[in-house]
Amino acid sequence: MPAYALEIIVFSLGLVLLLVDAFAKLEDKRSLAWLGMLGLVVVFGLLFKVEPRAADDANVFWRFYSDSRMSLFFKGIAILSTILVLAMAIDYRGLIEKFTAPAEKKAHPQAGLGEFFALPVFACAGLMCMASATNLVSIFVSLEAVTITFYVMVAYMRRNVGSLEAGVKYLILGALSTGFLVYGFAWLYGITGSMDLAEIGAALKSGDVSPTAALFAFSLILVALGFKVGAVPFQMWIPDVYQGAPTPITAFLSVGSKAAGFIVLLRLSAVFLGSEAVAGQVAMAFAVVAGLTLIVGNLTAIPQSNFKRLLAYSSIAHAGFLLTALAAAPRKLEAGQLSSATVVAFYLGAYLLMTLLAFLVVGLVRVHRDSEEIEAYRGLGKSSPFLALALLIAMASLAGVPLTAGFFGKFFVFQLAIQGGHWWLVTLAAIGAGAGFYYYLKVVAAMYWDDPTGAAAKAAAIPVSALTRAAVVTLIVLIVIAGFAPRMILGLIG
Amino acid sequence: MQQEFIPVLIQIVIATGFAVATLIASVLLGKRAKRNQMKDSAYECGMLPIGEGQARFSVKFYLVAMLFVLFDIEVVFLYPWAVSFKRLAVDGGQLVVFFSALSFIVILFVAYLYALRKGALEWKD
Repeated sequence: MPAYALEIIVFSLGLVLLLVDAFAKLEDKRSLAWLGMLGLVVVFGLLFKVEPRAADDANVFWRFYSDSRMSLFFKGIAILSTILVLAMAIDYRGLIEKFTAPAEKKAHPQAGLGEFFALPVFACAGLMCMASATNLVSIFVSLEAVTITFYVMVAYMRRNVGSLEAGVKYLILGALSTGFLVYGFAWLYGITGSMDLAEIGAALKSGDVSPTAALFAFSLILVALGFKVGAVPFQMWIPDVYQGAPTPITAFLSVGSKAAGFIVLLRLSAVFLGSEAVAGQVAMAFAVVAGLTLIVGNLTAIPQSNFKRLLAYSSIAHAGFLLTALAAAPRKLEAGQLSSATVVAFYLGAYLLMTLLAFLVVGLVRVHRDSEEIEAYRGLGKSSPFLALALLIAMASLAGVPLTAGFFGKFFVFQLAIQGGHWWLVTLAAIGAGAGFYYYLKVVAAMYWDDPTGAAAKAAAIPVSALTRAAVVTLIVLIVIAGFAPRMILGLIG
Repeated sequence: MQQEFIPVLIQIVIATGFAVATLIASVLLGKRAKRNQMKDSAYECGMLPIGEGQARFSVKFYLVAMLFVLFDIEVVFLYPWAVSFKRLAVDGGQLVVFFSALSFIVILFVAYLYALRKGALEWKD
C-alpha cells in the first residue's frame, strides 16, 4: 500500500473513536483508548509494508508528499508516541474525570473522557502528514492540524485553573507564531513564485532571488518554528504550559510538537542552506539560537524544584542540542559522515523514548501521590523500586550517560559540531551537558538517598497496571538497545 | 533619500509634539485633583452603573456560532471547487477530484452527527 494510506487510516480511526463515543453507550470509556491503541499498533505494523512510489505514478498528489525513509521514520515516531500517550492517558483518567465532570448530578461520570482518547489520534494523523509534507501548503495545514488539536488537549482539564492558564498561554503564543510562519511562507512564495520546496530550493540556488528578502523570510520562519520547538528567546511559554497541561499531554507536547517543529525546520533549512548566497548567515543564525538555547535551557533547569518544570527546561535544553546539529550541518557530506538530518532524527527518536519514560512515572506519581514536586520522589527507590529504576534509566539517558540512547544522541551532535569546527558551540554544549548531569541526577539522588518527609514517608507502593508495566519495560529495552547498537536505529533512518 | 515623505515626517512630529505638549502643560499648570470614590466612578449621564460591564452569557452561543462558521466555510470552499472542477480534472482525473471533495463533506458530516449527538444544538437546560 502507498504511504499516504496510513494517514487516511489514522484519521478515520480518530473519526470512528469520536462516533463510538457519541453513539455507543459505553459504561467504561477506557475501551476507546484500547481501540485507539489497537488501531495504531496495526498502523505501526503496516508502516513496514509500505510500498515505495511507482516510478510512473504521475498523480499530482506526489507534489505535496514524499515517502522517503526519513519520513517513514518520523511517522513511526508519531505513532509510537501516540500509543504510549494513550497508555498514559488510561492511568491518568481519574484526574481528567475529576476536572471535567459535568455539573449535572445524573450525568455519566466519564462524560468528558471520550475526546481525551480521540484527540491524540488526530494529532498523530497531523504529525504523520507533516513527516511527508514537501509543499508549503501541506506543511502549514498539517502543522495547524497538530497545533489546534494541542490547544484543546492542553486546556482539557477545564475546571483546573492551571490547565486553563496553560491553554490560554499556548493558544495566544501559538497563534502569534503561526502568524509569523504564514508571513514567512508568503515572502518565500513572493520571491520564488512557488509553494513547492524543491522549486523554492532551485530558485534560491539560481541566485536570481534577492538574498535580503530570502533572509527576511528565513528569519520569520525561524521565529515561528522557534516557538514550536522551544528555542531561546521564544521559550517563555514552555514551563507554564508544560506544568499546567495534563501530564500525558505534556509528554505528547514535548515529543510530538518538538518533532513536528524539527521536521519542518529540517526541510526548510535544507532549502536555505543549499543556496550559496544565504547559507552562511542562515547557519550563523542557527548557531546563535542554538548557543542561547543550550545555555538558558540548561542553566535555568538547575534551580527547579517542580519535576514537570524541570522536564520543561530540559526540553528547551534538548532543543538546543538539536539546533546545534542544524547549525553544524555540513555543506558537503563526506563518506561515512552523518548528515544533520540523520543526527536530528536519531536524537528525536532517543528523546522520545526517554522523555515518555520519564513522563510515565511523573503521571503515576501525580495520580497516586498528588504531587509533582521533586520532594515527592524521595524514597521512591524503596517504596516502588520498579518505577524508580525506570526513572533512573530515563534520567541517565536524558543526561547522556553512556550505553543509553541519550548518549549517542549527544555524541552524534558533538561529532557533527567538531567536524564542522564550531568550537564555541561545542564549548557551550559541553557546559550544558555538564549542567544536565547535575539536575537530572538530583532527581535520582532524591529517589535513592534522601529520606522521605511528611506524607511520602508513610506512602505505600504505587500500583502499576500491566499495560503501564509493558510500556515501561518496552521503553527501557529500546533505550538500552539504542545505547548499545545505534547503527540499528540509523539503519531505519536510511 | 525619499524627499517626498518629509512632509509626512513633519506631520508626525507636529502631531506627537502637540499631544505631548498639551499633556505636559496640563500636568504642570493644572491643579492636582482630589480623588474619591465618587470621582473615580464611571461618568454616565443619568444612570448609576449597575452590574458587570461584561455580562456572562451561555456558552451555547459560542457553540452555535462556531458550528455556523464551520459549515459556512464548508460551503465557501465548495464554490471555488465547483468553478475550477474542469481544470482540476485535467490534472488529476475527475474521480479523484470528486472524491477528494466528497471526503471533505463526509468528514464535516461526521462532525455534524457528533455535535448533534453530544447535544451541542439542544437549548433546554
